[in-house]
Amino acid sequence: MPQGRSVLVVERDPHVRELQLNFLTRGGFSVDYATDGHAGLALAEALVPDLVVTEILVPKLDGLALCSHLKAGSKTSHVPVLVCSMLAATARAREAGADAFMKKPLAEQRYMDTIRGVFAARQPTT
Amino acid sequence: MDTPGEDHPQFDESADAAELPRIKTGNRELDQILGGGFPANSINILMGEPGSGKTILAERMMFANAEEDARPVVFLSTLSEPLEKVVRYLQQFSFYDESLLAGAVIYDSLGEELAEHGPGALIPKLKDVIQTTSPKMIVIDSFKAIHDLTTSMPDMRRMLYEVSGILSAYETTAFLVGEYSEDQIPVFPEFAVADGMVELARRKHGTRDERYLRVLKLRGSSYAEGLHAFRITDDGLDVFPRLVSPRDAVIYQREQSRVPTGIPGFDDLIGGGFWRGSTVVVEGRSGAGKTTFGLQFAINGVLAGEPSLYLNFQENPTQLARAFENLGKGFDSLRERGLHLAYHSAVELQIDSILVGIFRKVNEHNIKRIVIDAVGDLMNATSDMNRLRGYLYALVQHFVVNGVTSILTYETSQETAVDMRFSAIADAVVVLGLEIDEHGSRRTLHIAKARGIAHDLAVRQFQISVDGVTVT
Repeated sequence: MPQGRSVLVVERDPHVRELQLNFLTRGGFSVDYATDGHAGLALAEALVPDLVVTEILVPKLDGLALCSHLKAGSKTSHVPVLVCSMLAATARAREAGADAFMKKPLAEQRYMDTIRGVFAARQPTT
Repeated sequence: MDTPGEDHPQFDESADAAELPRIKTGNRELDQILGGGFPANSINILMGEPGSGKTILAERMMFANAEEDARPVVFLSTLSEPLEKVVRYLQQFSFYDESLLAGAVIYDSLGEELAEHGPGALIPKLKDVIQTTSPKMIVIDSFKAIHDLTTSMPDMRRMLYEVSGILSAYETTAFLVGEYSEDQIPVFPEFAVADGMVELARRKHGTRDERYLRVLKLRGSSYAEGLHAFRITDDGLDVFPRLVSPRDAVIYQREQSRVPTGIPGFDDLIGGGFWRGSTVVVEGRSGAGKTTFGLQFAINGVLAGEPSLYLNFQENPTQLARAFENLGKGFDSLRERGLHLAYHSAVELQIDSILVGIFRKVNEHNIKRIVIDAVGDLMNATSDMNRLRGYLYALVQHFVVNGVTSILTYETSQETAVDMRFSAIADAVVVLGLEIDEHGSRRTLHIAKARGIAHDLAVRQFQISVDGVTVT
């Protein structure tokens, strides 16, 4: 399934970012990243990835606002967003239009299961 | 059409739970002290001098949290002890389970990398361990050895910032074990990044050493403060939480029933019996009859269907069995019907372990009557009389909440002098005397105090026979 899938990670913390890049790469995804919300939005509009994973607490434009922008953007409205945060903010993520939410810290199995679940939910049902 | 966030069950609702998940320690009492265990995904320091029990505690926790077919727990040795030695001693403990090794429990060494590359070797090793094993718990023993390898405090601080970042990013609970002392807490940067700190220590008490543990910090959690005694056993640590008054002491339902002692002639003096849950001090000089009074109270409790506990410091179980037999009661029969004994040698007393032992028996056997013979022996267990009084106060508070009626015998040096130290915690005080003059001897009894009871005020005489105490 992941072959050719691209994920954009928006995360300020270098250790969390490194973990995610490792998990995703190992899972067969191609990965790009940004360290703040503005850069994340610009990259998402330019690359139109298959998935955006964002922390809420990122500089310049927070992850929930980023999610709202993506969902409102003509080029990115179809891109699923996983909010992956240290905050317990399931309801706020849902309100912002996110497709999934998971709380840090990260463990590989749970992280990858969530990502696969997002893609699985996006599979067309015939 | 997709409706984000509504059609897909990709929202971890449990993430919003206010309660922190906990890592169990493998010891029920220590979990209680920690408010349920160490908060998961935290960084904790286990500190104490060599031989204080840090490594045993860490390993006990590892095996308590190891599960087959789940993320493993990892032990990383550094430069204090060779890994082989650690594993060799580990096998002496009952919690050791060889079937978990190399799968659910992983022992690894960082010693060679540290010796060759210095403290900087820790970061890539940690990353490698996380990437290759996905551990749910990591123990680094000794972390202090890594500290000692760093050449400056700024270097240590930088490295810890990295270590803290790596451990915080990943879903794992870390224990940094080290021979740290209390005076290093404000100086060493590892204490600033720690979410939890538990100190293990030894203190000399007479000819004995007493071990204590103390929680110094536990972010995001309440915990029981103060020194908690522990012993190292085959099963790791046996912990005895510091006794404090029960939190619900002010709202308990006071029992309105009476507890007859069953001592002929005595219950009439107190309106039929003591209030259930009350604490009675029976005092007098040596030979006054305190022990017999207590034995009868326990025996009559058992005969009335109330499980009873007799706690003794002077007579060993054989001597005690004889004392019960001398009262004409079959010892084995009493044991079968609910008589429980606890014997502690007066020279090996540790007050915390005694009190925790009492609570365990009370809960385990639904004890309704307790005799502590003699409370003065508890003084041997502590050099601090204020502490003993505090313990006794907390103890009787627990008794009253649990509806346990207790007799504490106390040996006085002056006849008929009510000992004010224990009078305050007692609901009733019974003073036993032995008067000897040229006409012979006579035993006396009077009730110096009985809260809420219209009690007899006279000095009565009593006899001790093979049937025990009889008040006339």
